[in-house]
Amino acid sequence: VPRAEIVALASSAAVILAVTEAFRAWLHVTNPTIAALSYLLIILVVAASSTLRVAIVASVVADLCLNYFFMPPVGTWTIADPQNVVALFAFLVVSLVASQLSATARASAREAIARQEELRRLLDLSRDILVSGESPDAIGALAAVIARRFDLDFAAVCLPRETTWTVSSAGRLPVRLADRELTAAFSEAERRVEFDARTRSYAGHHVLTVEGHAVRVVPLRLGTKPIGLLAAAGREVEVGTMDALAGVAAIAIERGQFLHERKEAELTRRSEELKSALLASLGHDLRTPLTAIRVAASNLESPRLGDTDRREQTDVILTEIERLTRLFQNILEMARIDAGGVGAESRWAHPSEIIAAARNQVDQTLREHGVAVAIEQDVPVRLDPRLTATAVAHLLENAAQYAPAGSVIDVGARVTGEGLAIEVRDRGPGIDAQDLSHLFERFYRGAAAKGRGVGTGLGLSIARGLLAAEGGRVWAENCADGGARFTIVVPAASKQPEAEGSVSA
Amino acid sequence: MSPEPRILLVDDEPSIQRAVGPLLRSRGYQVDVAGNGTEALRMAAERPPDLIVLDLGLPDIEGTEVCRRIRAISRVPIVVLSARGAEADKVNALDLGADDYVTKPFGPEELLARIRVALRRVLSDEKAESGQFAAGDLTIDYDRRRVVRGGAEIRLTPKEFELLSLLARQHDRVLTHRAILKAVWGPNAVEQPEHLWTLVAQLRKKVEPDPANPRYLLSEPWVGYRFATGDSDGSKGRG
Repeated sequence: VPRAEIVALASSAAVILAVTEAFRAWLHVTNPTIAALSYLLIILVVAASSTLRVAIVASVVADLCLNYFFMPPVGTWTIADPQNVVALFAFLVVSLVASQLSATARASAREAIARQEELRRLLDLSRDILVSGESPDAIGALAAVIARRFDLDFAAVCLPRETTWTVSSAGRLPVRLADRELTAAFSEAERRVEFDARTRSYAGHHVLTVEGHAVRVVPLRLGTKPIGLLAAAGREVEVGTMDALAGVAAIAIERGQFLHERKEAELTRRSEELKSALLASLGHDLRTPLTAIRVAASNLESPRLGDTDRREQTDVILTEIERLTRLFQNILEMARIDAGGVGAESRWAHPSEIIAAARNQVDQTLREHGVAVAIEQDVPVRLDPRLTATAVAHLLENAAQYAPAGSVIDVGARVTGEGLAIEVRDRGPGIDAQDLSHLFERFYRGAAAKGRGVGTGLGLSIARGLLAAEGGRVWAENCADGGARFTIVVPAASKQPEAEGSVSA
Repeated sequence: MSPEPRILLVDDEPSIQRAVGPLLRSRGYQVDVAGNGTEALRMAAERPPDLIVLDLGLPDIEGTEVCRRIRAISRVPIVVLSARGAEADKVNALDLGADDYVTKPFGPEELLARIRVALRRVLSDEKAESGQFAAGDLTIDYDRRRVVRGGAEIRLTPKEFELLSLLARQHDRVLTHRAILKAVWGPNAVEQPEHLWTLVAQLRKKVEPDPANPRYLLSEPWVGYRFATGDSDGSKGRG
């Protein structure tokens, strides 16, 4: 007998005796009807607040008190008037029925509250699942959400894999589930699909005892097909709720798989798109150099060519081979960026070195342009000079492709609190408004480049990719007095002139 | 035509200009170079060339548009340079009056062969104003609708004769499927190339010495057909 019941029993008996004493000693109530009604009131209160057992015992005590203290002759167990026997019996029956009714009402109210509580948990759980995105550990996250929402000490989602089980668990109890027991439970769930209307659940619930903990195991079903098992330990969860929970979990698992597959499909599609864009671009960029080299090479074989023409043909071949080399380098760089193979290696370097290295990389392309370099403070900065220089080289190449031959390209470098800022400004036609937002997209060529053999559509996207690897950024704008300006900013520590002597690099 | 035919080379790529220019000069042609469509149209009008080599990818005007505008004022042969894969552009240019095409990247001999054939067509056009046409052992009499091969008359259905004379009248030019279908079957038939395939097969059986290896009615895969008159027709290396 639970303690709470003993306490309730003692206190209800005490109240009955106290009321009896009050009626007899102080209020001088002798009318048995008034006493019976008062007792009935007490019994109703007891039945409503405690268990049926306590209410029954209280009813018997009240009945005895009524007989002893109020039925004439008072003070004896004898009942003189046979009518009073009926009255006592009726009192007992009424109080027992009232207790029973009250207890039933209380039980169903408690059940309703419990069900509502579980429903709320289920709703919370489904909301958690709906807002969860696709993540590598979606199943582990699901187990954690179940454990949290249902206040479980242990929750695990178990999925069969060929011969073993993948168990993702959460909760404070470190329970290990044996593959053999899981397999047994799963094969039973596969064999039997019985619906129990009373508990609103399917057959196949098991309770395993693992390391002294009772672990409930429920099949995860999509429709009626089991796809795995849900294990839970700790707070008691109603059987029907457990089944509903398993259903929600099964849907969550399926949703996770769908999301994953969709992402894969999207990735495949994007890589296909990229491949065909690459092929189209290659087709375009290879055609002219190959034609020119082929024709120029056979011209060289021809005896009908003068010396000047001959030198010209050699030059054509060298220029076009240079172009193919750049294209090849660009594709390699792009592939490296795609594969995540670009790592920044920081070291101290002067802005002037970086700009010189960049010019050096594209000196062939820059042959017909002047380059004016202005460096505000040539103090050492700590960044990856190789990546930065290559990015600047792509900006220079881009400028040379769009600015008219003979014009000057301005290159400016500035060391700021943010890092190193380098500007490349050309005297070309500027950037078309519709191109500005797409400029750094791979294979994108501005309106001015369409139909021209200019650029590969790769340079600027490579510049952006390289800078991203060292946390830098690049943007483009049109200058008020014509031409385009590209600016890159690379975060970097710098040595201000006064501190230069104190740090050795 | 002057003894040294004048060719207008239209291409915006400096490397192509610098390589193809000397190539043509070394073969005895005079060469003018234009770097864009506007310049090409101006030069074609100022100093009419004997032949135009036209790149379809120009920075200012679409190559096909240049083709159309030149055709509006002149019958000068046009050989277009097109990109592999850009079949639609090529067919468009041919429909708009270009005579032939070379696909980049091309070799020098391929281009030279196309140029020779196109120039020869102009010469034979100037010579032959009569209603007769002869190529190899084949003679076509347009007026009497008779075709003779090696002295023996070949019986052709009206459609077969129509197709043969269409190709022969514009010999050594590529006629697109579209253009042929339109001329022989009418504008509603342009989407039904199977008519053309059947008719060409029938015609080859009758006029070709070896129908499996045609020498007169040549296919230009995915583009059209041409009637070849000569030896160096450059049909090699196509496919």
